[in-house]
Amino acid sequence: MRSPADDFQYQPPNLLTLEGFGEALGMLRKRMAERLSPFFLDLVLVAILWVLITYGVSWIVWKEVHYSLVPTWVFLVGILETVALWESFGQSLGYRVARKTLLGESRAKPTFRQRIVYYLLFHISVFPIIGLAWKRPLHERISGLSVAHNVRGGEKPAPWYRTSSGILVALLMAAILATTFSVTIESDTWRRFLANPSKAGRIFKALVSPDFSFWQDAVFKLIETIYMAIMATLIGVLVAAPLSFFAARNLTRTPVARLFYTLIRGILSFFRSIEPIVWAIVFLVWVGPGRNPFAGFLALLIHSIADLTKLYSERLESIETGPVEAITATGGSWLSVLRYAVIPQIINPYISFSLYRWDINIRMSTIVGLVGGGGIGQLLLLLLRAQRFSQAAICVYLIAMLVWGIDTLSSRLRRYYERGRIIQEEVAEESA
Amino acid sequence: MSQPYLRFENLTKVYERGQVVALKNVSFSVEKGEFLVIIGLSGSGKSTLLRCINRLIEPSAGQIFVDGVDVTQLSSARMRRVRRKIGMIFQHFNLINRSTVLTNTLSGRLGYMSAWRSLLGLFTKEDKKLAIQNLARVGLEDKAYARADELSGGQQQRVGIARALMQNPDLLLTDEPVSALDPATSHSVMQYLEQMNQEDGVTVLASLHFLSLARRYGTRIIALKGGELMFDGSPSEIDEAKFKEIYGDEAEEVEVR
Amino acid sequence: MSAKNSGNRWQYAPSSFRSLWKRFLGFMLDWSIVYYFLHASMYLYLVFWGSQTIAGWNYYKNDAYAAFFNPLRLDSWMWWLVLGGTLLLVVLLRSFGRSLGQRAFGFSLQGVERSFVNAIQRSTRVIVFPISILFSPFQLLTSVIRKRPPGRGLLHDHVSGSSIRTYIHPSGLPKKRIWFTQWGWIAIALLSLTIFLGWVIIDANLGVLINRTDEARRVFMDIATPDFSHFAVPDPVFYQRAYPQMFSIINLMVLTVLMALAATLIGAFFAFPLSFLGARNLMCQNRTGYVVYSFIRGFFNLFRSIETLIWVIVFAVWIGYGNPFAGVMALVIHTIAALGKLYSEQVESIDSGPIEAILATGGSRFQIIRFGVIPQIIPSFLAFTLYRWDINVRMATIIALVGGGGIGDLLFYYRNQGDWSQVGAVVLAMIAVVWTLDYISGRVRERIA
Repeated sequence: MRSPADDFQYQPPNLLTLEGFGEALGMLRKRMAERLSPFFLDLVLVAILWVLITYGVSWIVWKEVHYSLVPTWVFLVGILETVALWESFGQSLGYRVARKTLLGESRAKPTFRQRIVYYLLFHISVFPIIGLAWKRPLHERISGLSVAHNVRGGEKPAPWYRTSSGILVALLMAAILATTFSVTIESDTWRRFLANPSKAGRIFKALVSPDFSFWQDAVFKLIETIYMAIMATLIGVLVAAPLSFFAARNLTRTPVARLFYTLIRGILSFFRSIEPIVWAIVFLVWVGPGRNPFAGFLALLIHSIADLTKLYSERLESIETGPVEAITATGGSWLSVLRYAVIPQIINPYISFSLYRWDINIRMSTIVGLVGGGGIGQLLLLLLRAQRFSQAAICVYLIAMLVWGIDTLSSRLRRYYERGRIIQEEVAEESA
Repeated sequence: MSQPYLRFENLTKVYERGQVVALKNVSFSVEKGEFLVIIGLSGSGKSTLLRCINRLIEPSAGQIFVDGVDVTQLSSARMRRVRRKIGMIFQHFNLINRSTVLTNTLSGRLGYMSAWRSLLGLFTKEDKKLAIQNLARVGLEDKAYARADELSGGQQQRVGIARALMQNPDLLLTDEPVSALDPATSHSVMQYLEQMNQEDGVTVLASLHFLSLARRYGTRIIALKGGELMFDGSPSEIDEAKFKEIYGDEAEEVEVR
Repeated sequence: MSAKNSGNRWQYAPSSFRSLWKRFLGFMLDWSIVYYFLHASMYLYLVFWGSQTIAGWNYYKNDAYAAFFNPLRLDSWMWWLVLGGTLLLVVLLRSFGRSLGQRAFGFSLQGVERSFVNAIQRSTRVIVFPISILFSPFQLLTSVIRKRPPGRGLLHDHVSGSSIRTYIHPSGLPKKRIWFTQWGWIAIALLSLTIFLGWVIIDANLGVLINRTDEARRVFMDIATPDFSHFAVPDPVFYQRAYPQMFSIINLMVLTVLMALAATLIGAFFAFPLSFLGARNLMCQNRTGYVVYSFIRGFFNLFRSIETLIWVIVFAVWIGYGNPFAGVMALVIHTIAALGKLYSEQVESIDSGPIEAILATGGSRFQIIRFGVIPQIIPSFLAFTLYRWDINVRMATIIALVGGGGIGDLLFYYRNQGDWSQVGAVVLAMIAVVWTLDYISGRVRERIA
């Protein structure tokens, strides 16, 4: 049977040449990835467990926030040692996930002595770093153990409560549950939750008896919301569609174009990572008081441009090169390649993405309204501040209807653009 | 004369969608202990016929008597009782891929278990022992705790057989058990079926694609064409002319060794 | 063969309920477009050239309340006039030409055996339509009871001897370029009208953006130079009644992540059993199952479309403004609906083989779920739950706006103080956490899938 150590290549590459060094680095990277990722997984889990336990305990006992009750260096050394011990004396979770286990020569079970040697030498084995690429690490060679593929077969595996990983996961779950719920839900909260339904009752009563005389005003604010979303989508598409050609990797090959590519991608991914609600806050200051829908529209626009450009350019990157080659081969210019080879491939996905973005913008514009970005969201906030719940109920229903309707409509339309024409379907149906 | 073990009377199945007639007035009977092979082209109604017996597909008309009981009239609870005694083996094995081989085998026992025990996965000691025995019988005891998707096709089908064995069946329905397997594995799987038929006295109904396998293992062959019964007899009766009649003029017989 | 003595009375009947439904949708599309044009032009006319009242249109230019909502109010008789006029225009459009609605659903007006429809027939359709629209509900009701579409077509179909049927393009003729068709013109007009109207409605003003650049520059510069002094040390000035403890940015960020986690866990706990009830392949075998299925799916869809922020408002009143639990409860409700839908779609897409196998061994419905369904769906359920946690964290950062607690409290507090460099620090913390979680959940989902 193949020994687990056979995976290693014993012929070291020539480190003095550039190629050999590169090769060694590549091997090292591969080796590290397969050795270190279980190790880091264990490390992170143990750290999280400790942090959660201290956090939860200090919260419950002292009502204070502490992340680690010990000095940082003790914490770091502690988790490192814990993981080293765990991996030497049992099957750690990382190894379990990677389906590996510690085995001796010819898949023998490791002895206790071997495990101790493995653990002790573990600390120094990382030093000959580059050598790890073609040699087994020091602690493995001397202890005679190696990390081998774990084969499940005839024997019954131990139940989870008798394996170290099972216990750790259970502990982690318990700590997560205990900490999470004790932090977010306090005893006082439960009391209020159970004692105060009458307060919410007022809202529910308003929800079931909305003030219908208010519908016209609410609908007009709803229309404002829809226009914010439509405008943001339309202008977003107009900006993003040309921009996406500069943000596609396969279309920007010259150095100047590549510079544009990097710049556009970088800026847009930054814009995208800031929530639209935060953008709305900023734009509200910029456009000044009384122009709320405009601020909301700008916030949505920024996000739409960033998001659509990313979606579009990803689609552009995955177009088939066959038609492009064919048109180029017939002597077509850059523009005719674009017109006859690229655009036919991307037009339907572009429409589908735009519809998707429209759907998101409708949802977003109600939320953006809540910080003062105009539309029905803002109206809702004003009504709630004024405690006019039965009028607010109308807004809630309108928002729900709008979101539901747009969701259905846009998913229908998207399916249509992804699948092809309804007409052909219908003709086939009639002729059948 | 005692009545036959399994009897079909004017069995008809029409699929509502598209008005496809899968079975047309099929009537025949099977004696206890037979190894009956059903042949026919794809879409000739073999799978439908088998699935009508344990009512995975509801027949449109006609009756099926299993051991004298008309299964087409049974309530769903009583049908479950009947299904316990009818094992089934599938073309694509239908194992639960992410569960262990043992769990897959034990799932053959579900019909005998109470709801809450099965909900918690509490199989009895005897069941587990039986499962290991049955796995040993198909030569897979050393894979008991491996996941089902780690096994090869032939091994997976053997797990399917072990699952059927767990039911302690009187009747075994096998729906193209070997058509997803290579020829060498096919024979080993078919031999396990033959063993069940001869040693345990299980009546086997197998739909097969290869006539050579049908001749080698079947004690009797029926052929379906377009949902109609068009041949019923011993394997030796099928000659070149009959073959062309069943499979169409352009068919050539392929030998599986 | 003339329409009158035609033996084949199916000639101008709609071929199925489906095509009748599509015809209706096409009509509604035309109706909305025409109505949109009418209303938009009335609105624009009043905004730019309107005086106080013109024959039923009331324009409140100087009323602050009306200006906040809408300057255009119609008297009730005017509403009926507009609706009726729209209807007439639509019928004219659909009778004398191929309208956008007919085009979108692939229909055209055809006579018997796809023959050309002459002007008399077309005018007949327009004249009979108002009577027909009164009869058609009755006609449809009877045909639904008889389970077949109205045999002689709707009344105006029958009288005029023409009907709206599937359009088949004559193979000899080339298709017109889109710009030269009615559709193309309407699309262009719609687009420009929408942009113009939108510009007016959202009160866009590019001049403002340029005039107030200094203001914006100050804010942006402050945000770009975040003040991390309260990153780990609590700000003593910031005090919320919901928190008896002093929270720094990082403490509140952790609290936010934990809130999202609590909501995801509770939500998943409830969504898991519900998802089986909302799966078509498990439930739609008998009538009771179908009723339960529709009910659960309806519940998912309804609660998914009510935003989390709206639920926060309810729970903030109930439990206390700024209490994290209010936020958690709101997130839970949305999570149940969203996860339930995702889960049940997953249950619907499972491999039916194992289910068949367990059914064949005599397993009951519970045993099928326990042994046939659950082992198949566990990985994707985990992936979806993780994804939901990711979304919930994003949501949890902003629910403080309406009293849900979490990091948003700090953000809106500093915003109200005008302390933009602190806002910058909070936003940075939010971005860092959202990015990290996004990355982790993306990687883990890749592994699982």
